This record gives sequence, C-alpha cells and structure tokens, in this order.
Amino acid sequence: MERSNFESTHEFYDQWINMYTATMSKLVEMPAVGPAREKSEKMMKGFSTFVNLCAAGMDTSSNFQKVFMEAMQKVQEKIAADMDGEVSPEKYKEFYDVWIQTYSETFKDFAKSGHFVSDLGKLNAHLMDFQKYNRDMLEENYLKPMNLPTKTEIDEINKELYTLKKTVKELTRQIKELNENK
Amino acid sequence: MNGLKLNENYDKFKHGMELMLKPPEFSVATTPSEIIYTEDKMKLIHYIPAVAKTHPVPILIVYALVNRYYILDLQPDKSVIKKLLEEGFDVYVIDWGYPSGADRYLTLDDYVNGYLHNSVENIKERCGLDKITLLGVCQGGTFSIMYSALHPENVQNLVTLVAPVNFDSNKGILNLWAKGLDVDKIVDYYGIVPGDFLNSAFLLLDPLRLMIDKYVGMFDRIECNPDDETASIRNEEYIQNFLRMEKWIFDSPDQAGETFRQFMKDCYQKNLLIKNELNLNGKIVNLKNITMPVLNVMAEFDHLVPNDASIPLADAISSSDKDTLVFPTGHIGIFVGSKSQKEVCPKIAAWLKPRSNPNGKGDEKPGSGNEEKTESAKENMKEQRKQIRRARVNKK
Repeated sequence: MERSNFESTHEFYDQWINMYTATMSKLVEMPAVGPAREKSEKMMKGFSTFVNLCAAGMDTSSNFQKVFMEAMQKVQEKIAADMDGEVSPEKYKEFYDVWIQTYSETFKDFAKSGHFVSDLGKLNAHLMDFQKYNRDMLEENYLKPMNLPTKTEIDEINKELYTLKKTVKELTRQIKELNENK
Repeated sequence: MNGLKLNENYDKFKHGMELMLKPPEFSVATTPSEIIYTEDKMKLIHYIPAVAKTHPVPILIVYALVNRYYILDLQPDKSVIKKLLEEGFDVYVIDWGYPSGADRYLTLDDYVNGYLHNSVENIKERCGLDKITLLGVCQGGTFSIMYSALHPENVQNLVTLVAPVNFDSNKGILNLWAKGLDVDKIVDYYGIVPGDFLNSAFLLLDPLRLMIDKYVGMFDRIECNPDDETASIRNEEYIQNFLRMEKWIFDSPDQAGETFRQFMKDCYQKNLLIKNELNLNGKIVNLKNITMPVLNVMAEFDHLVPNDASIPLADAISSSDKDTLVFPTGHIGIFVGSKSQKEVCPKIAAWLKPRSNPNGKGDEKPGSGNEEKTESAKENMKEQRKQIRRARVNKK
C-alpha cells in the first residue's frame, strides 16, 4: 500500500513533540524564583500537562483515522462491482448494510488490539491529569481568594461524614446486640 | 419500482417521526412491590407474591451497580421477577440507588458486608429463616459470590447469572481495556465516577451499531400499511419497547469512587477473587468457603462477561451440588430476549424448587402430585450436564 497521509501526520506530530521537549518544555519547567514562585511553578506545570494530552490526542486521532481509512477501503472493494450501472434504492440499502458491517467489524478488531488499549489508557490518564490540573488551578486562583468552598474541602467533609456514619452504624449494631443479649 | 421503494422508506421515516413526536406512554418496573428496608440510598424491595403459598426460602436478587435492577422487570411480558413470582417464589431485590458525592468513599466492603449483609439479615428476620437464596446478576453476581464466601451460614442457594469471577479473560473487550486504565487517576479526579463515563466505554464497544444502526433499525421496523389497524398497534408497542430499553441503557447511576477503584484494580487488573486473595476490610474472600448448592448461568454470546470469566467458578468452590447452564443468547438477551421467559426463568425455577426448603430436604412432598415435577427436575439436571459439557467444549 502506498504511504498514507496519516503516517506523515504521525511523523509531524512526533517531530513537533520532540521539538517541544528539546526547547519549550525546558523553558516552562525551569524553576521559578521570586515572591510568586510557588504559584508560578504550579501554573507552568500546566503546559506539560496540556502538551501530554495533545500528544495522546494526536496519537489516538491518527490511529482512528487509519482504522476508518482501512474500513473505507474494504467497503470500496466490497461494493466496487455492485455499484456499477443503475443505483437503485435496494442498492443503497445493500450499501448501507455493507458499510455498517465493515466499519463495525474493522473497529471491533481495532478495539481488541494492544495498540488501542494502550492509546485509550494513555489518553484517559492525560485527560484526567489535565482536568485535575484545571480544577486545582480554579480552586487555587479563584475559589480560595473569593473564600468559596472548594471540591477538596467538600471531599474532606464527605470523608468525615462517611467515617461518622460508619461509626454510628457500628455502634447501633453493638447496642442492638447488647439489647438482644440482655 | 424504485420510486415505490423510496416512497416506502420515506413513509417509514415519517411514521416513525410521528410516533416519536407523540411518544406512547411507557413504564418500567411495574410488578407490584413494597419497600421494606432502606439504608442510605439503598432500598430493599419486596415483590407481592403471586401465589397464596410461596416456596419457603425467599430469593434475594442482587443486581450490578452499573445500570438499574429493573432490566429484570422491564415490562410485564419480559420480566424475570414476574416469572419467578409466578413460579411460586417470594422475591426481593436490592435497589442500590444513585450514589452522590457523599457516597464517594463507600468501599466494596460497605456494599458486600454492609448493604447486602443487612438486606439478608432483614429478610431472614422477616421470614424467620436462617438462610435465603441469593440470585446475583452480572457484577451483583460477583458481589453475591463474595458474600457467600464470607457468610456461607446465611446462604441456602447461590445462583449467579452472567457473573464474572475470573477477570483474566482475553475474550472480553472490557477485560482488555480495563488492564490499560489508570484507575487511580480516574477516581482521584472524579471521586464519584459518572455513569456517562462508563456509558461512553460501553458505546465504544461497537460505536457504529450502537450509535447509528440501532436507530436506523428502529425506523426500518416501522410498518406503513394505512389500512391495517393492527400494524399501528404493533408500531406503538414496538416503539414502547424500544424506548423502555433505551431508558434502561442510559439510566446509569454514578459509581462510588472507592468501590470502583477496588473492583477495577483487585478484580479486573489483579484478578484476586479467583485466587482467593481478595481482601474486604481485612476479611479474605476464600471461594472454598462456598459449600451451598450453586447454579451458574451463562449467556453463550455474552460480549461483556465472556463464558471464560464465569466457568471457573465451579472449580473454585467446595460445593458438591453445583450446576452450570448456558443459553444461546447475549448478556442482555438473557433477561429480555425470547428465551428468557421460555427457557431461562423456568430452568432456574426448576433448579431452585427442590432446594427451597429450609431443612434442605426438598420443597416437594411425595404423593402431592409433584412426582412428575421431580422427574422433570431430573430431566433438567441431565440437560444441565449436557450444557456443562458444551461449556467445557467452548472453553477449549
């Protein structure tokens, strides 16, 4: 098969990441100094988190494009002969059936591959990192200065509540047992 | 001819849209019931018996945390619960509810040794019995297995329905995906893992069929004969059934984060349950403690819980009375498919009836006209043995 556009796209992404790692990343990860060093260091970490998410997104999207292209080629091969001449509505239905079956099977095969599992895992991990970073920044720079409750604080209360509930349940059980043994 | 066909397709679409614009009313979980116990968001539901004298040992159905229990009572003619009531059983179901932020720290131990245990105790007290039957479905089956291993003294019979016990299977896509997931990051970010997050994973299993073809198929099945009144009734019923299922699929409760973390890491990633190494708050789940009669029911074409994930249960437990049933259906079809009412429920009932006596001597009394039923139970056992052999062949 001739070299597809996706391989070139992949190469472009790889080069872009390598370039970033060799240049910009060093700059943004440089230790901060001065009175605002703690805050700036935390904020600058967001660049790497975002770049990691972009890189994982690029990998995933290029692999998806590759799979869909593969499926499209399979569909073309299957219907090449049938689509000659007059195209009737029945043929549209047949085309739809071939299309859905081929795409579905190709994607299912891809979903079972180690490549997809690794892509999915990486993309998901970087997405969680990025979302968590955004939330931390929101808490640090907006909610705390405005004296508003943060998710972290609510979680602390929820944990306390959970522990208390559990203790109450255990004590209730013990009281019930003691009453029964009287 | 081509014009006619185009017209027919347009009519199907038009009729379908008309029906969707004025959707027929539909309801789910209609079997009469009462709530007899609540704890936090969990509710214990008791179904009103359908016969005057039920089999002595009641059944507690334990459903998964993912999706809702009412798939077992989706509609009157597709209800596992109704069928079990008609077979003379006293049926209870745990409704786990919809966890919120306050539930993020709930653990597997809280579910198994807390909510499930308290429900069992409640039923035991209510019925004046020492033991009850557990019927665990999917993840609820896994919970029931854990419970039966930790509290065998409370379980008369264990029935597992499409329940995974061995998570190291390469046949299930979910098993493969779970291995690559950084579960800690998901739980640390979300706290309560959104039902939509899990739904997107289920849709990704076969996105084109589940997001396009299913809806194309819905319009395609619409009948467009204006002179046929029964066709419009069939259309309405079809749309009602479609909407019921659609509601169930996307009615996905969020997951308590710590439970999700432990279930994914200890079961899906480390496969500790089948190795007898799963630890619930200091208590090791040893499957060898399971000595009660066990019926393991599987769906041959299950894409979520492959048979490989359920078959090892039989060898992992100590029970001498254990049977396996395999039905040629899928993970959901086993509850709502055509075989569910005709084959699955009757066979489970036939297996349970002789084991639903508190003294363990069988429910049926000689001379009461039940000999035929006992013979039928024997026939059933033969059939089950055949299916075990079939399951083993499948495994190979």
